Amino acid sequence: MALLHKLLNGTSFPKLCRMQDVARCFLLGPVFAGYPSRLYGSIKKTEAASGRSSPEVNTQGGLEKQTKGEVGLDLISPKEKIEIIFDKAIRTEIKDHFKLLAKELVDRWRGPEGCPLHEVLLENTRVMWQFRSDEDLDKWLVTSDRTIGGRSKAFLKMASNNQSALFHGILNTELPHDGETQRSGYCAMTSRIPRGAFERKKYYDWSNFNTLYLRVRGDGRPWMVNIKTDTDLVQKSQHLHSYFMFTRGGPYWQEVKIPFSKFFFSSKGRIQDNQQQLLTDQISSIGFTLADKVNGPFYLELDFIGVFHDPTHTEEFAYENSKKICGNL
Amino acid sequence: MNCVWRAILAWDHSMGRHFLSRAVPGHSPWQPEGSCLLQGLSQFPRGFCSSAARLASDSKQVPMVKPSAVSTKALEPYEDFFEQASGGQRDKTGFSRAVKAFAQRDMRKRGHVDFIYLALRKMPEYGVQHDLAVYNLLLDIFPKEVFVPRNMLQQIFNHYPRQQECGVKVLDQMENYGVMPNKETEFLLLQIFGRKSHPMLKYLRLMYWFPRFKNINPFPVPRPLPKDPIDLARHGLERIAADLSARVTVYQMPGPEDLGANPSQPHIVGIQSPDQQAALAQHNPARPVFVEGPFPLWLRDQCLYYHVLRADLLPPEERQEDKEMGPERNFYYPMQLDLDLDRGPWDDYEFDVDEVEEGPVFAMCMAGAHDQATLAKWIQGLQITNPALAHIPVVFRLGAVGGELQLSEHQEGQGQHNQEREEQVSPKEDEEEPSQAQIRHQGQS
Repeated sequence: MALLHKLLNGTSFPKLCRMQDVARCFLLGPVFAGYPSRLYGSIKKTEAASGRSSPEVNTQGGLEKQTKGEVGLDLISPKEKIEIIFDKAIRTEIKDHFKLLAKELVDRWRGPEGCPLHEVLLENTRVMWQFRSDEDLDKWLVTSDRTIGGRSKAFLKMASNNQSALFHGILNTELPHDGETQRSGYCAMTSRIPRGAFERKKYYDWSNFNTLYLRVRGDGRPWMVNIKTDTDLVQKSQHLHSYFMFTRGGPYWQEVKIPFSKFFFSSKGRIQDNQQQLLTDQISSIGFTLADKVNGPFYLELDFIGVFHDPTHTEEFAYENSKKICGNL
Repeated sequence: MNCVWRAILAWDHSMGRHFLSRAVPGHSPWQPEGSCLLQGLSQFPRGFCSSAARLASDSKQVPMVKPSAVSTKALEPYEDFFEQASGGQRDKTGFSRAVKAFAQRDMRKRGHVDFIYLALRKMPEYGVQHDLAVYNLLLDIFPKEVFVPRNMLQQIFNHYPRQQECGVKVLDQMENYGVMPNKETEFLLLQIFGRKSHPMLKYLRLMYWFPRFKNINPFPVPRPLPKDPIDLARHGLERIAADLSARVTVYQMPGPEDLGANPSQPHIVGIQSPDQQAALAQHNPARPVFVEGPFPLWLRDQCLYYHVLRADLLPPEERQEDKEMGPERNFYYPMQLDLDLDRGPWDDYEFDVDEVEEGPVFAMCMAGAHDQATLAKWIQGLQITNPALAHIPVVFRLGAVGGELQLSEHQEGQGQHNQEREEQVSPKEDEEEPSQAQIRHQGQS
């Protein structure tokens, strides 16, 4: 491992600096961070760095220079020298994990998720994600149809007032030239799956709440809000519950409330005949997708995402299972 | 001899081996007629399996009898026929004429699956992709009551699968373009494929989901969108104003030569609500107001650009809460009721989050041109209804329009320009003013 590190550090190619950094974070990422999700992120980065054609890479570099706090393409700048000491890094990592474990144990004893029971019972609203600093952006992943060979671009960064996140880019429905893709053109941002000590998967428990609350400002395009429940089973990894979010556009903020009962069930992007209710006790992530088949720039500004309990909303599930469809063939 | 040879070749194709057909194009010992027979042969297996070949991935099956041997100009079967039958008209009449011509050409409707696929692909070209009647016309090509399964066995084993797939594809395209089928579609599908079939199932799914999602948009966009730019701007402004009492004013009508390349007199449409007017009247004249933009607004597939007149956020020491009324204002009854109607700590519905604070917006406008001269006319028009604006300095913070759009189209050789545009288009971001920003004192004029 040390040899590998020396190899990466010692041989310096002036033109391949970026690639070298990418390779470093790709190869050594798991050792330092230990996050599988970060490993995923670094794969993204390599893909972004080794763009297809050279002019594209140029423009990307330009965009990157403009927007420093972006998540999608945050390559480590070559000037920045990273100090790498393996033993120390591993030690701090282990220490952090044990600290997290101790905190979890104490929290468990104190009440659900570290809050006393009376607070949890009286809780009507909870802010799940807010965007006030660059650390908040680290909880999100940005994907686009670049992963399947498309030409869309998407970036996530803090807006200039530093109080909200700006998800912007260009949607492009041009098909990748692989001969079998029929449709293309999507941009998405997804929250990372929460992790506890020793990289255990954790879930959000929203069973006290029945409505999703978003404070956004868009440009008039329709979005899709996707909620993913637990992903332990392989069969369930493609399951999503989705609903639509329409933005008004204009300079004013907009408050969107979507009851959980409205979310419909889909698997691999296909609406299923057998509809199931969204079970809110094991939520792993939330995502926003833009795929409205219109080429052009887009932006979505996010203030915060929360959940709340609306006592006037009593509907459990909006979609009944139709006998005509389920028993047709 | 001919008949036997065809049978052997058909068997060969169906087995997927193509031993014989590989030998065909050059020198076949059994083929005295030469190219004439070859043409007949080459069309036979294509009609036999071409729809299957398209549904499977394109790269897998390369037809052994090359299409170039047939020596037609069109790549697709019936493409020439379609062009001729439509009579060169690229609209609904031409399209339906071609479809009807095919339906009346042959009683047996030979090759109708190929024709329907071709017609589906041609729909956006003819501009009929949102027209339900055209889809029904297409479904009407299918022969009736032939593909309906007659017994249990046929029903279990996918009866006429290629035709069913084609029917599903028609409905799939309807779904893609958001066209809701009607009773006529159902009746046609019943006649063609019967109740228990895949197209019918697709129809049922469409009729389950489409009515549920038809009217969920709280900000509906008319279909079709208005053609007149003033009507379009009016609709967009009413949408983004989020205030029913806001009033739209047309400051300038477009000139007659607006349709030309360089509009000399672009349209200017603005909106302002009474609240905004009152806020502008109270604005401190020592602080400038800004004209910012252009910001994009998408109405379905059309992008409009708007500008806002806004001020920066006041520093906290200058914010005055003059709205508060002291209890001494009136001796006879309280001016302010502060009853604590909360029932308890469980009635707290506030999110625990810091408010995003931004400067107030005083007015919005949409104009045909995004340069400073046009927007100065808007400000002059605003001064009639807002006399206070005459004493306030106005700063123009303008960016370029559609920089990112161009970025996606011409990706080469524009790197430097796009960097600049990127900064300006990305909304609410420019901290420092662009170079062309000028301070204009409107008071003297």
